[in-house]
Amino acid sequence: MIATRSPIVRLAIQTATPIAIVLGTYLLFAGHNRPGGGFAAGLVFGAVVVLRTIAGLQRPRHADTLIAVGVVIAVAVAALPVLWGDPFLDMKIVETTVPLLGKIKTGSALPFDIGVMAIVVGLIVALLDGLSLPTVDDTGTEAGAA
Amino acid sequence: MNTVLTLMLVAPLLSAALAFAVRRHDQLRDALTLAGLGTAAGASGVMFATVAADGPFVLRVGGWHPELGIVLVADRFAALVLPVALAIIFVVELFAIGQRKTAWGSNPELSGPMMGVLTAGVSLAMLTGDLFTLFVAFELILVSSYVLLTHQGQAAQLRAGMTYVVMNLLASTLFLFGLAYVYAATGTVNLALLTERIPELPDGVRLGIGAWFFVVFGTKAAVFPLFSWLPDSYPTAPTTITAVFAGLLTKIGIYAMIRFHTLMGMDQLGNTMLIIAGVTMIVGALGALAQSHVKRILSFHIISQIGYMLMGLGLFTAAGTAGAILFLVHHMPVKTVLFLVGGLIENDQGTGRLDRTGGLARRRPLIAALFAVPALSLAGLPPFSGFVAKFAVISAGIEARATPWVVLALVAGALTLLSMTKIWLGVFWGADPDRVSVRRPPGNRPMMLAATGIAVAGTLTISALAGPLFDLSVDAAEDLRDPEIYRTAVLR
Repeated sequence: MIATRSPIVRLAIQTATPIAIVLGTYLLFAGHNRPGGGFAAGLVFGAVVVLRTIAGLQRPRHADTLIAVGVVIAVAVAALPVLWGDPFLDMKIVETTVPLLGKIKTGSALPFDIGVMAIVVGLIVALLDGLSLPTVDDTGTEAGAA
Repeated sequence: MNTVLTLMLVAPLLSAALAFAVRRHDQLRDALTLAGLGTAAGASGVMFATVAADGPFVLRVGGWHPELGIVLVADRFAALVLPVALAIIFVVELFAIGQRKTAWGSNPELSGPMMGVLTAGVSLAMLTGDLFTLFVAFELILVSSYVLLTHQGQAAQLRAGMTYVVMNLLASTLFLFGLAYVYAATGTVNLALLTERIPELPDGVRLGIGAWFFVVFGTKAAVFPLFSWLPDSYPTAPTTITAVFAGLLTKIGIYAMIRFHTLMGMDQLGNTMLIIAGVTMIVGALGALAQSHVKRILSFHIISQIGYMLMGLGLFTAAGTAGAILFLVHHMPVKTVLFLVGGLIENDQGTGRLDRTGGLARRRPLIAALFAVPALSLAGLPPFSGFVAKFAVISAGIEARATPWVVLALVAGALTLLSMTKIWLGVFWGADPDRVSVRRPPGNRPMMLAATGIAVAGTLTISALAGPLFDLSVDAAEDLRDPEIYRTAVLR
């Protein structure tokens, strides 16, 4: 693993991780009115996961759970408005004032974006899991197993 | 109706996600998959009844105006075809659950959930009212079909899957370019707005758009000369997956073509379409004759039959379009059933190769009967649905004085019968094979037989209801040929 051999790579990735997570979170919330959104946030988080995998640092597992939960959240948020007679994928906007932050405007697009983000991260984790499987030759035995 | 359209998209996706999460618990996963597919099929039935009673229904997704947002349009064409498609997927999933424990079965942990994603894609492709969402729906279908085709990871599947993926990616790329082309020329991708703006374009641009999308949808539909990916890839997949692909995927291409080219009034492409339809019919039927494996024969027939639908469309008359729609409705279940029977044969004989099977009519008369009905129907013999569908297309051809294509259609029909006879002689008559290498365990045979039986009953129902169905096809064709109806429904 690179992390054990190169302290530069390890430290750089460890430093980059929280910064990228802040950036991803910003994109997730900004997505409603400005460039960003669940997909972009998911890609940024995914990039963190990829970097940490290459370096051999800790990274999320359980791709299946991420994907399943993401799809359920996104689809449920899309379909819920139908229950009270609004069209499919209709969006509710909530505006409140909270101390310290002032006026906050958010909507049902936020949980939808979180669902999308979970799917994207889940797919990247699944991809990395797939790439790290032992290689198999034509007869179905692990390569190098003799 | 709002709820009904939403259910058709949401139920299969949601059940796919849940089934994927619990995919190691056989019964829970199967129950969830069936519930999702069943809900979608049920909802499509309600949609059919409502549209038949109240006319087209349009759902503006998120409440946005069609100029800005996505619309889902349940017109009489979608309401006629979609229920058939969703019912087929449900029945095939029943078969898949019965076949699961056999050497031929698909890996249920992936195929169940992916079938749900595919179903959502099929619903979206048929309901969508704009070209870009159609592209998204195609991708949804394709991505899940890549997984379904290759998920067992056998060498033959990966090799064939490669061709399949490359061809379809190419077609998708062309689709995307075509979208840019249309948007640049008209400033919209909404079908209702396009019916207004495309006729205003100069002839050359209009022809270009029509020809471009003919190539895109033609690749998906496997028309001549873009069919080469189909007969190689389909037979390698597990039976149930081939059955769904055979019944639905190429038909989605034809569906999109009927919708787009008829709504946009692309009459000037008619002759090109007829020529390609004629060649497709004959090449597919001849290709089938040359094969000696049940699934490969059936795969070539898909191509041949696509030719008939294209011929109906290429005539650009009310009767022709109606014939193409009726053919679509007849063809989807019949083709699926034939592949399911092919699966039963493999399960029983250990192979689908004609030289290694025989005598099945004596030992398994039920399978023989289940094969005979859809085979005769496919060949177009009365009183089955294939006869009515072919009659509709051919009489439309005679009416439009397209004599050469009528002759070709009749020749292709005879060739189809010939290759069906070939399967019958090879599999059901003749001496028993020397050794039957049945791979154990044999799976849940009653369930597989029941699923095939339900599907055969479905095709017989279509034969019995051919009259009313033809009227419905005529209605659907009228709606497509008069863009004013579509436009008023969507833009209102």
